Amino acid sequence: MTHRSDRLGEDPISGLVNALRRLPGIGERTATRLTFFILHEEEGIAQDLAEALLEAREKIRLCQTCCNLTDQEECVVCRDGRRDPSLICVVERIQDLRAIEATGDFRGTYHVLHGLISPLDGVGPDDLHLRELITRLQDSETREALDEVIVATSPTVDGETTALYLQKLLSPFGIQVSRIASGVPIGGDLEYTDRVTLARAIAQRRAM
Amino acid sequence: MLLEALRLKDFRNLRDVELSPHQRFNLFTGQNGQGKTNLLEAIYLLSAVKSFRSQATNRNLIGHGRDQAELFARVDRGGHVRDVGIEIGERGKRITLNGQTVRNVADFFGTLNVVIFGPDDIGVLKGSPSERRRFIDRAIFNARPAYGTEATHFEEVLKNRNALLKEERVDGGLLSIYDDQLVEWGAQILRRRLDFIDHFRPVLKRTFRSIFGDGFEAEIGYQAEWADQDLSTENVEEALRDALSRTRQEERHRGYTLVGPHRDDLRTELDGHDLRAFGSQGQTRAFILAMKIAEITYLEERYRFAPILLLDDVSSELDRERNRQLFAFLRDRAIGQVFITTTHRDHILLEEDLRHYQVVDGEVRDG
Ligand SMILES: Nc1ncnc2c1ncn2[C@@H]1O[C@H](COP(=O)(O)OP(=O)(O)OP(=O)(O)O)[C@@H](O)[C@H]1O
Ligand SMILES: [Mg+2]
Ligand SMILES: [Zn+2]
Repeated sequence: MTHRSDRLGEDPISGLVNALRRLPGIGERTATRLTFFILHEEEGIAQDLAEALLEAREKIRLCQTCCNLTDQEECVVCRDGRRDPSLICVVERIQDLRAIEATGDFRGTYHVLHGLISPLDGVGPDDLHLRELITRLQDSETREALDEVIVATSPTVDGETTALYLQKLLSPFGIQVSRIASGVPIGGDLEYTDRVTLARAIAQRRAM
Repeated sequence: MLLEALRLKDFRNLRDVELSPHQRFNLFTGQNGQGKTNLLEAIYLLSAVKSFRSQATNRNLIGHGRDQAELFARVDRGGHVRDVGIEIGERGKRITLNGQTVRNVADFFGTLNVVIFGPDDIGVLKGSPSERRRFIDRAIFNARPAYGTEATHFEEVLKNRNALLKEERVDGGLLSIYDDQLVEWGAQILRRRLDFIDHFRPVLKRTFRSIFGDGFEAEIGYQAEWADQDLSTENVEEALRDALSRTRQEERHRGYTLVGPHRDDLRTELDGHDLRAFGSQGQTRAFILAMKIAEITYLEERYRFAPILLLDDVSSELDRERNRQLFAFLRDRAIGQVFITTTHRDHILLEEDLRHYQVVDGEVRDG
């Protein structure tokens, strides 16, 4: 969408409003409120915000093991020696990883795909972080410790397709692949599922 | 099922409407373009969230110059009263049940059940197969809201599969995953449709006979050209699999899926003759009238609820005899709330249990 101000040449206020509007979940009204909040507060807040944004952007990268976000080579989960190496939970997005972490029930490690297969949106298997997962499984130490890969993608068409694809992809490794039980509503979004349902869905995962 | 109260704000040209409808017949008279169909559309939206009109974008539903439309209804379903609300903004709709926002529309469906009969339905039997599929799908959805989710899921599988078939190099492994899903969800849709036809068929035949006497024999059947065997709820999966493997070459070539419930049709016959090809105007109208009446009877008999009936100006589309039969059915049906629009009061053969409203330039008054 192009806004009128783009064409007329943007003044700094609408510039900020429009930049904020590009964030998910933020509409014109919220963007405007945030803009005036930032402008009215002491200068500190703008400075802090700008620096925090740039620093995060600069330092945060993908965990070399699981593709979670981190500011180090490996993320907090992978660095945590108490995690159970026999389980890898595959998720679509960081938000899903966080949702599962919030249940406190899962003690294994993760793998973040950063997307789901969707030919309709032009996303194929090669566009996901699948290679990193394969590389990880090819490491004999990891492979030995691993018993099961849990696919925790949403029960949507794309989530289901990706899960089935993973099942095929992992079959040569002879690892048990399971899918979370859909206590999660069909067509629902994992991120918005309440904790109880999500915890139960993980507990009742089924083999594929 | 009863609509006890209806309130609309800035919905199309209806700026501010408040009604306490009669539990039987509610008649809305008015000249062309005054807002009669809009009123029925609002009730329909409170049931199905989507409109029955094409091009009903959120923007088009909101009154010109306004930024939000509000629809509200109080629904009594067997003594269980619920408040249903829909706020329509340009960016989306917000649904509420008893004042609580509904996250998943699937939780909302089934609160209010309506059957609409309007000018567009008159053409269904002569129209495209998709219009007849919509007839079946709407009837199933009314009784089993979960069917809506299943149908959406199937369509999504189909769209992705078609997108994949159009790619230059098709990943065979991925395609077979879509095959499995197409079979699984397609079979589910087919089973539901076949089950519907099984139960609907006798009701239709009976309805047709009772309205039009024993002179004609009405017949209806599910038609799947891609299947090379008669479909039954037991063999749909196998039939789909066979058909998929038979069309493998051609679908790659054409770039879309050639088999499945999205290709199907409803076959209607009168005395053994295909109505789509041979039906006269009067015959097709009689048939669609019988289908609509049978749809209501089917819901009442099989699922034990009387849907709310929306009749949009059908009297002007039916000849006098059919019109008389329609109203005879409505009067004989002991229960059931009906909303009727017309430009001519004298088309409406009802005198009792009736509340009459006038619709003038978006205003609805007692009349
Ligand atoms: N978003 C909107 N805002 C304002 N008015 C609208 C909007 N959408 C449609 N209208 C108006 O509503 C009117 C049509 O209303 P409706 O279709 O209900 O008419 P009707 O009474 O059913 O007429 P007919 O007897 O011809 O079928 C038109 O005048 C149209 O301009
Ligand atoms: Mg109209
Ligand atoms: Zn990690």
